[in-house]
Amino acid sequence: MCLGIESTAHTFGASLVDDEDRIVTNVNSTYRPPPGIGIHPRKASEHLASVADEIVKAALTAKDDSSIDPDVIAYAAGPGLGPCLRIGATVGRALSSFLKKPLVPVHHGVAHLDIAMSIAKSRDPLAVLVSGGHTSILVHVGKRWRVYGETQDITLGNLLDMFAREAKLPSPGGLSVSKEAAKGVNMIRLPYTVKGNDVAYSGLLTAATSALQRQGNLADICFSLQETAFAMLAEAVERSLVQTRRSEVLIAGGVAASSRLKEMISSVAADHGASFHPVPVEYSGDCGAQIACSGRLAYESGLTISTSDSFVIPRWRLDEVDVPWIPRN
Amino acid sequence: MDTSKLASTPLHRGAEADLSLATIGPWRVVIKHRVRKEYRNPSLDRQIRHDRTVSEASIIHEAKMAGARVPSIVGIDVENNAIAMTYLEGTVARERLDEMGISEARKLLRSIGEQIGLLHAAGIVHGDLTTSNVIVSASGTPSIVDFGMSRRSLESEDRGVDLHLLQRSIVASHSKSVSSMMNAMIRGYEQTAGRKIAGSTWRKAREIARRGRYFAIR
Repeated sequence: MCLGIESTAHTFGASLVDDEDRIVTNVNSTYRPPPGIGIHPRKASEHLASVADEIVKAALTAKDDSSIDPDVIAYAAGPGLGPCLRIGATVGRALSSFLKKPLVPVHHGVAHLDIAMSIAKSRDPLAVLVSGGHTSILVHVGKRWRVYGETQDITLGNLLDMFAREAKLPSPGGLSVSKEAAKGVNMIRLPYTVKGNDVAYSGLLTAATSALQRQGNLADICFSLQETAFAMLAEAVERSLVQTRRSEVLIAGGVAASSRLKEMISSVAADHGASFHPVPVEYSGDCGAQIACSGRLAYESGLTISTSDSFVIPRWRLDEVDVPWIPRN
Repeated sequence: MDTSKLASTPLHRGAEADLSLATIGPWRVVIKHRVRKEYRNPSLDRQIRHDRTVSEASIIHEAKMAGARVPSIVGIDVENNAIAMTYLEGTVARERLDEMGISEARKLLRSIGEQIGLLHAAGIVHGDLTTSNVIVSASGTPSIVDFGMSRRSLESEDRGVDLHLLQRSIVASHSKSVSSMMNAMIRGYEQTAGRKIAGSTWRKAREIARRGRYFAIR
C-alpha cells in the first residue's frame, strides 16, 4: 500500500494505492485565488499547511473507519512552487521516519502520465501532457520519457489561466474559458504558431488579451482562443504521431479535462489508426492519487531516497527522470 | 490551375498533406494536396491550408532561383490547396547511403552540403532536413524535396537545426563514420554558403546536439 502526497502548487492531496494498482483513497483540497489574481506561492503554501493533517488522516482512513498503515510513502519532489513543495516533503519525511517506511520522491509530471496509463491500461503511448506546468508531447525511449514536441514559451494551462485572469474569469481558467467559448460563434483570427513538433503560445496570449482590451465579444474571443490553441497542439501531436508510429495516444494533466481538446486529439488518433486514452476528469487535475500511483511503480523499481537526501526540486525537467517501468505490461 | 480533375495515383500520405502522381503536358508531376483537418475549426483550417500552400510554393521557387536543385513549380491550385511540382526521378538518400561505401557516401554528402549551403545562403531553412527528404538521381546528384516545414530565416539556430537533423538521420546508416560524413558535408556547405555562415551554423548544430532535444526515433 503506497501513500502519495501531492503539494506542488495549489493542491494538497493524499491518496492510497494498493499493490494491484487500485486507488483506495484519494483526498484533495485546492487553494483558489480570487478572480483576476494568480496563485501567490506563500498564500498557497499556507493553505496547504492548514489542511495537510486532516487530508492525510482522511486518506489513511478506510470506508469502515479503520485506519490503514501504508508500506511506502511517496511525495511530489518537484517540479513546482518551492514553498508548496516543502509542505508535502515535510509531511512525507515525518511520516516516513515515524512509521519507519521507505520514502520515494516522485516527479509530478511523470505522475500525471502514470495515473493516466494505469487507468487506461496503456502500454507505451505517445503521451500528451497538458497542464499549468507542462505542454509536452512525449514518447518513452530507453529509460526515460523523451520530449518529441513541446511549447517554446508558456504552457497551455498558463495561456488559459493568464487570459482568464485578464478577463476577470474565475479559476481554474481553462474551465471558465471553455464555458464562455460555448457561447461564442465568430472565429476571430489569432496567431497560429506551430514550428515542427513545437508550439508557441505567447503571441496568441498577447493577441487575445488585446482583443479583450478593444472591447471584443468575450464569448467569441474565448471560442477563438480555445479553437486556435487546441488546434495548434493537435497539429503538433499529429506530426509526432506520424513520425513515431505509436499505436496509442494518451492525454493527461489538468487541461486534459477539456472536452474540446479531447475531441480534437481523439480525431487525430482515429485518423492514424491509434487508440485514444484520455485521463478521466476526476484524475486529470493535481491529486494525491497520481503521486501514490507513480510512487508505487518507482518503489517497485527500487527508487527510494534517504530522509537526509529528500530535497525538493522546484525546476525539474521531465526528460531528466529515470522511468524504468515503461513499457508497462 | 485545377488539380481536382487530374487523373492521379496516390504516392504517400503525410501528416498534413497527401502526395499523388499525375501528368501535366510533358511533365510527370507530384501533386501535394493539403487535406482538410477534421479537428480544426473550418475557417481556421481554410486559412492555414491556403497560407501554407502559397508560402511553400513561393519558397520552393525562391530556392530554385537561388540555384538549388529542387522541384520546379508547375502550378498552384489555390482553391484546392494543392501544389503541382515536377517529379524527380531517383532514390531517397537514406536508401542510397545504406548501400554505399564510405568514400562514395562522403562524395554524396559533400554534394548534399552544397545544396543545403545554397538554401541557407538564400535565407531559406528547410525545417525537416533528413536523408529521407533528399532524392538522389541515377547519376548521383542530390535534390532536396519537401519544403512543407521550410521558412525564411537568417538565424544560425534555425540553420543549425537543419544540419543537426541531417546528422541524426545519417547516424542510422553510417553510425561509425558520422563525423567523417559530416566533415565532407560541411566542406560542400562552406563552398556555397561561405565561411561565415558555415562557421556559425556548425557551432549551433553542435550546441543543439548537446541539448539532446531532437533525437532519432527509428
